[in-house]
Amino acid sequence: MPMADNEALPDPPDTGPDNVIHPSQFDWVKSASPEEVPLEIHDMTVAYHKKPVLWGVDLAVPKGKLIGIVGPNGAGKSTLIKSIMGLQPLSSGWVKIFGKPYRENLKRVGYVPQRESVDWDFPVNVMDVVLMGRYGRLGLIKRPTRKDREIARECLDKVKMLPYASRQISNLSGGQQQRVFLARALAQESDVYFMDEPFVGVDAATEAAIVELMHELKEKGKTLLVVHHDLPTAKEYFDMLLLLNMRVVAFGNTAEVFNVELLQKTYGGRLTVLSEVAEAVKASQT
Amino acid sequence: MRHGIKNTPGKGSCAARQRHGAGFPSIGVRSILLRLVVVAFVVCLAPGCLADRIGDLTETSVIDQAARFFSFRDESLRYALLGTILLGVNCGLLGGFIVVRKLSLMGDALSHAVLPGVAIGFLWNMTKDPLAIFIGATIAGLLGALTVSAITHTTKIKEDAALGMVLSGYFAAGYCLTSMIGRLETGNKAGIDHFLFGQAAALNRDDILLMSVVTALTVLCVSLFYKEFLVTSFDAAFARAVGFPATLFHNGLMLLLAFSVVIALQAVGVVLVSAMLITPAASAYLLTDRMHRLLTLSALFGVATGAIGAFLSFLESGLPTGPLMVLAATLVFGMAFLFGPRHGVLIRWWRQRSRGHRVRRENTLKAVYQALERREFKGESVTLLELAQRRRETEEEARQQASALIRNGLATRHGTGEQIVLTPEGWLRACEIVRNHRLWELYLTNAAHIAADHVHEDAEKIEHVLGEDVVRQIERRLDFAKTDPHGRPIPSIDDMRRGAGGLFGRDELVGYGKTT
Amino acid sequence: MSELVPPFDWHYVVVSTWTESGGYYGWMALMGFLVAATCGLVGNYLILRRMALVGDAISHSVLPGLAVAFILANLAGGGGVGHGVRSPMVMFAGALGAAVVTTIMIEEIHKKTRVKQDAAIGITFSSLFALGVVIISLFAGKAHIDTDCVLHGEITFVPDDLFVMIGGREIAPGPIVRMAGVAGVTVLLIALFYKELLVSSFDSGLAASLGVNATVVHYGLMSWLSVVVVSSFEAVGAILVIAMLIIPGATASLLTRRLPWMMALTVVHAALSSVLGLHLAIWLECSVSAAMCVAAAGVFGAVWIFSPSEGLIRRWAARRADPPLEEPAA
Repeated sequence: MPMADNEALPDPPDTGPDNVIHPSQFDWVKSASPEEVPLEIHDMTVAYHKKPVLWGVDLAVPKGKLIGIVGPNGAGKSTLIKSIMGLQPLSSGWVKIFGKPYRENLKRVGYVPQRESVDWDFPVNVMDVVLMGRYGRLGLIKRPTRKDREIARECLDKVKMLPYASRQISNLSGGQQQRVFLARALAQESDVYFMDEPFVGVDAATEAAIVELMHELKEKGKTLLVVHHDLPTAKEYFDMLLLLNMRVVAFGNTAEVFNVELLQKTYGGRLTVLSEVAEAVKASQT
Repeated sequence: MRHGIKNTPGKGSCAARQRHGAGFPSIGVRSILLRLVVVAFVVCLAPGCLADRIGDLTETSVIDQAARFFSFRDESLRYALLGTILLGVNCGLLGGFIVVRKLSLMGDALSHAVLPGVAIGFLWNMTKDPLAIFIGATIAGLLGALTVSAITHTTKIKEDAALGMVLSGYFAAGYCLTSMIGRLETGNKAGIDHFLFGQAAALNRDDILLMSVVTALTVLCVSLFYKEFLVTSFDAAFARAVGFPATLFHNGLMLLLAFSVVIALQAVGVVLVSAMLITPAASAYLLTDRMHRLLTLSALFGVATGAIGAFLSFLESGLPTGPLMVLAATLVFGMAFLFGPRHGVLIRWWRQRSRGHRVRRENTLKAVYQALERREFKGESVTLLELAQRRRETEEEARQQASALIRNGLATRHGTGEQIVLTPEGWLRACEIVRNHRLWELYLTNAAHIAADHVHEDAEKIEHVLGEDVVRQIERRLDFAKTDPHGRPIPSIDDMRRGAGGLFGRDELVGYGKTT
Repeated sequence: MSELVPPFDWHYVVVSTWTESGGYYGWMALMGFLVAATCGLVGNYLILRRMALVGDAISHSVLPGLAVAFILANLAGGGGVGHGVRSPMVMFAGALGAAVVTTIMIEEIHKKTRVKQDAAIGITFSSLFALGVVIISLFAGKAHIDTDCVLHGEITFVPDDLFVMIGGREIAPGPIVRMAGVAGVTVLLIALFYKELLVSSFDSGLAASLGVNATVVHYGLMSWLSVVVVSSFEAVGAILVIAMLIIPGATASLLTRRLPWMMALTVVHAALSSVLGLHLAIWLECSVSAAMCVAAAGVFGAVWIFSPSEGLIRRWAARRADPPLEEPAA
């Protein structure tokens, strides 16, 4: 029946937030203890010079999962990570790590930033960089102790970079630099790790080593959120995926979320990416 | 058993057993403090002045003057020297952070921006009151830094243009003020003039006191907060993520920088202070790969160039100290640039050249081996003509290459001089090269499935750099194969050793394919 | 205090300047205008190419070039002819030589080692400048260079300079004719090479594909910059010329984004700062050159605050209104 002009449109049916796979996604949070919720975000909006970069992000991440964050360039993936850690101011919303604000739970968060964020000509060697992971626990003025050095050595060993401990960081390949960053994050001895595009520009061997490490961490009960740039491997590496394009398009188990429809929604009709997407989906279905 | 085979150290246990020290500068900075204490000690105990003014000195030879200058005997000279030492330490330490944080031009802008503050401080008491000038200059400097920040944050103007505007605008204002002061009868124009290009001889006790306080503050801050400055300089985002207030430390550094600029003004002058911040630190940057060593070296260079500059100015009393210090510092930089052991431009060129020579020698050895192989190892001498043909060179070039081999003990002349014979060492090295080349070709064709006619170029490059470990691994991988993709035999290590073991006289030369 | 800052007498400072000593001060204002306009026009490209501080470097490092050139000319010419030795050709030769040396030094340092560009610029210009000061101090007599003049310039001497004769009639003081010449050539060069300069400033890739050699443009710009800088020494000296290079262009950039308009506004700014600076110097009885630079900065400040598009007042008003964030399109 045609509606009169001044009649209000009927309310849409209540399926919860429009784009999320699981309408009741946040119910489990209500009954969970803070320890089981490494990350909770409510209505986060981040703007840069009045231009929104992230809009109304709601998220609740379960413990012990490998989570990939994918989306097109400029989707706000790095911004999401930086905003969670307080490196960028929020226009609205809040973030909780294990039930407390970030500043109160600093020590439980490990960070692997993008490799290009740093000047690799800086006069430090590999060991110096990894030791920086221990600084958070030392506070002001205190120097790293022997114990700290031992832990740093262990972490270097885990990423197989111990022989390079005295090498200046510019004398490293891309993969080696990434491993150093990883070792630094490991040295933080955290419970939840945020990684920003750790696989960019690394060789195949390093990539495999990083994935192995990620699984090891997961077995120990750690939670990992990784900004990832490559769709086909995203399906392989991660338990859950967050599809992000300024808003959360979808968040859930990889098998359920990684389908053509949602990926198209995320990547919004960019041709080159769509064909990648189609290939990735096809490949995953064989 | 004589190996003669070069053993490249593996990356295994040996390296792991090394001490992985991430040295903290407790040692470096403490030694600086110690040096300062010694200097202060000497100064306090040194006998009273023997000459009130520089003009009283009558020594003429440079050595005598040097002795006079550096022995702290004269009060006015003592202050000049002490002042430059203090400023060297201060600028050196801070300069290290300025250079690695790419803030060099901020230092320059700050040093120009303080001029109006100096003028106003001067006006306060109509005389050169160090404290008033210090406060005035610091305020002006900080205002300048704030202005740059404000311009970049509120307009689309980029930082370099903002720095240039603040630099010149504030300086112009300062110069206006100084020209106005110069007009006044009570204005001690000479005093202000010293601030433009520096005159270390004009330093007095109050100046030195102020400089000591500021230097002590810098040394204290840098040593207490070393790791904080280190991490915020290297990776500010990570620093913030682990809870360090990166902005606070940045501002603290700027404040220390402002103080540093102000106390250096009298000795170096407004225009050139930034050079004392940048140049010694850049020299240190070229010589070391660790931050704490950079800081120590930078402070050392600062002290050395400051003292030299002051001394030169003292020799030739018409010259201002600032430019002389800067020239000395630049000289040090030039030396580091050219001759620095790790990054020096000339050193690198030299290394490349030697590497080039080594590669050519090895290629010649390979040619000799191949020539012999062609003949099925009958006879051991190879003529220069054969060599030239093999290597596709002229005979003259072959002769030069042969001479190079002989010079390095890898071959000797035989007979009439147009032939050469490989020494045992040369023979071994030739076998190694050939082995590396053929093994690599086989590896590429078998393991990497590259066509046999594509592998030669690659092998030509790799053969010179394969290490022992890698070669053994490849051998194992290829099941100790005996021939390369082109059907030629691959000398194995055992073959070579067997051959080498019997090499003591040329007549007994034994090698692959030869029989004893 | 009144000794330091003379009272502001409107009649004395503003009116009588033009009515009584118009000729004298007129030349000064004209020189200031010519210098500011020329530097400002060239400076626009420095700002666009983010090379403001390379410009600063060149302005400092022409000093030794100048000193060496004068000494050599003196040795060759034998005996000072006073201002005669300051022939434009000698000056330009010295300046060009120094510009080339500077550019090469900066490139060598930061391309061959891990020292970054900012430190390379600092090291280069400070060492060359120091060298220049030492040379001048040691050989001042032989070079006929007044240290103070070279460093800060003194426009007040310009009107007293020898007038240039053309066809038997006195036209203008020498420096003004020289500067006008340089200004004219600058405008000509900019007009001739407008496209090349524009393209290589914004998009070196596009420039290469259009056959514009970015390196040639770069070196050409640096060379002409050194000529302009050296010609401006008489008016503003080595240290203040950087103000004239950057401030006019930066001010113009706050008012418009289109290059032709920026050029025009640069010239307007030059005129304003020249005249205002002159009056400021007459009032405060201070150095005219420095006053002109202060005036330039003052005009910048005014525009910064009041600019209709980017000014501080406009921003503050916008923040007061504080519109909420707009929801991005789906």
